[in-house]
Amino acid sequence: MKPTRSDRGPLAAFLSPALVIMLTFFVLPVIYVVVVSMLKWNGISAPTVVWFQNFEKLFRDKSFIRSVTNNIIWALVAGFIQVPLAMLMAIILSRKPRGWKFFRTVYFFPQVISGIALATLWRAIYSADTGLLNGLLRVIGLGHLARDWLGTVETAFPAVLIYWVFYVGYYMVIMMADITTIDTAYYEAATIDGASDFQQAIYITIPLIKKTSLLTCVTLASVLGLRQFEQVYMLTNGGPANTTNTMVLYMYKKMQDSNYGRASASAVILILVGVIFIVCIRAIFTGRNEEAAAARKRRREMK
Amino acid sequence: MKKTIALLLTLVMVFGLAASFPAYADDEIVINFPSIWVGTDSKAACMAKLVEDFNAENAGSIKVVVEEQTDYQAYRDKIRTTITTGSAPDVCILDTTFDIKAYAESGKFMDLTPYLNEGWGANFTDGAFDAWSVDGKVSILPFESAVFTPIYNTKLLAQCGWDHFPATYDEFFQFCKDAKAAGLNAMGQMAGDNAWSSMLWYSLLVEAIGGKDVYADGLDNPAFVKAAEALKEMYAYTFDGAVSATAGDVNGHFLSRDTVVYLNGPWWIANFYKEDNAVDGVLLADDCEVAVNPSFEGGLGDKGLVTTVQGFLAPAKQDDPAKEAAVVKFLQYITDPAHVSELALSSGAMFFVKYTPSPDTSVISQKVTEVANNAAYTILHVNGAFPTAFSTEFPAAVSSLILDQVDAQGFVDMLKDAIDE
Repeated sequence: MKPTRSDRGPLAAFLSPALVIMLTFFVLPVIYVVVVSMLKWNGISAPTVVWFQNFEKLFRDKSFIRSVTNNIIWALVAGFIQVPLAMLMAIILSRKPRGWKFFRTVYFFPQVISGIALATLWRAIYSADTGLLNGLLRVIGLGHLARDWLGTVETAFPAVLIYWVFYVGYYMVIMMADITTIDTAYYEAATIDGASDFQQAIYITIPLIKKTSLLTCVTLASVLGLRQFEQVYMLTNGGPANTTNTMVLYMYKKMQDSNYGRASASAVILILVGVIFIVCIRAIFTGRNEEAAAARKRRREMK
Repeated sequence: MKKTIALLLTLVMVFGLAASFPAYADDEIVINFPSIWVGTDSKAACMAKLVEDFNAENAGSIKVVVEEQTDYQAYRDKIRTTITTGSAPDVCILDTTFDIKAYAESGKFMDLTPYLNEGWGANFTDGAFDAWSVDGKVSILPFESAVFTPIYNTKLLAQCGWDHFPATYDEFFQFCKDAKAAGLNAMGQMAGDNAWSSMLWYSLLVEAIGGKDVYADGLDNPAFVKAAEALKEMYAYTFDGAVSATAGDVNGHFLSRDTVVYLNGPWWIANFYKEDNAVDGVLLADDCEVAVNPSFEGGLGDKGLVTTVQGFLAPAKQDDPAKEAAVVKFLQYITDPAHVSELALSSGAMFFVKYTPSPDTSVISQKVTEVANNAAYTILHVNGAFPTAFSTEFPAAVSSLILDQVDAQGFVDMLKDAIDE
């Protein structure tokens, strides 16, 4: 329904607090970051304008390129491995098998523990000389595979990433909540038609949650993947040899160096990468053709 | 009933809010002091007592409020942000040596020169302010100093077949081989976190190879490449997983008596005397001896010492003369030789203040002081000698070197690239 002229006043009154908050805490800081990204500034002395030099240097910095690559891998793994895993768990537990409440709690439990605590725990597990993982490998006769998991170029990034992938509880409960709203009549009809549980999941559940909770979870997971910081900071601090660096950690290190211009430039790149990711995810899940068809249908109806 | 509960809850919240605001007398000057010398820091207990005593002596007129921050990096981040945004705390602690002059030049800190010239300056060691004053003005006080010299476990050294600490690095690497053969780690290294131990060993090597003027040409001095080669060799004689190790791992290995040589600042000495770290009732200190940095064959170093300023006291510029006087009074109290003596005794730390060491000062602290007094010259450790970008890049450069991602020249180039920005 289109708002009438008399609706505009109350609408503006209702929207203005959110608008002010958005302007103050998001738009203005982003503008500030963009401005600082064009400065050479140590936070103490007067800044000098260097225009796009910070960006130029960023793209010549192998460490930054590695950070961007790591973040993209992280976001893709989050969106296309972690979330599908969560979806699988949600679909299974939504069928309410025996002990489903217990498993729901168990899978969700890591979400209530801080990332720092989890990283500390995994640091102890990966430790080269006293770690649980190497100890386990030695016990089962695979001692030759024991290594400094976080101190080896080949294993550090997978080690940081892999444990995190299995923490699916957050997305799982979102999708479970969505699945419970699906009319059971669809499943009853499918069962009568002889569809298996797998077929019901593929042809009923996934299509019905695709544009709602699944899209939300993929977007959330990818964005969280893009802004990874605390796990990497605690586990490896970006090492060894910058192989586990992420964009936010890179930004943090540049701020430590009082290189605010470069830190802000990397923040601008992070925002741009984030926007590109969100646009791509929406395009994949909603589909341009579907949107165009819906728009055409709306226009026909209006006529 | 519901209304009564709601009213009660509201009252509780209002009182809770009111109680969360500290009450000060109208004319009481409050000095805000975010401090890292809290928690498990070796100076924590003594500093807390000094602040308490100061507050008691100045009750009703001055009150120092300590904001506790136990995480060093978080403290640095917070202080840098407050200074950048123009809201520096009344007194804070700085330790990023290379930035001190920039901070001093910023005009955001109090000019202490008149107060120091009135006699207070005589409490400090000779030349303490030389490197940190700007246009003859002192605004940031060097307070805690540190020297870095190897400390070794005499019993473990004997197990390696050595009756004396190596005098040269040739001997040192022979000792490393002997330690490895004896199933011991010669020393602790770490490339994880801030690579602190490796940074200190690298500094010792740089001093031994390049001598007292090693920093004159920046990182172009060939000593940096040669020292990197030696540092890489050292990693063959440390514990497994040193590339991802942190200071906790290095300390843990020395405490568990599987590592012969330990390198850290004097603030760690107190741990050698802790009963918790004793084995079969024998304190670690009883088995420890202080050594000097070995000389390097063909190196320019000769009886030099690696040092740093571990902590500066930085008072923010004040508009109110009464508050300025109160801050100065507090700083004078903290840097009073008698109080510094107490701090030194309780923590093992060293200071830029002239004080008479307590007769109860630990034997190891006395020996470290003796090494410091006998040094022909001092140089800063590498983190202190170069911009902060050096210390940020150092762990990545070390791990790249150890994992054969770069050679020794590549290691130095990584550090050069970082600081050239």
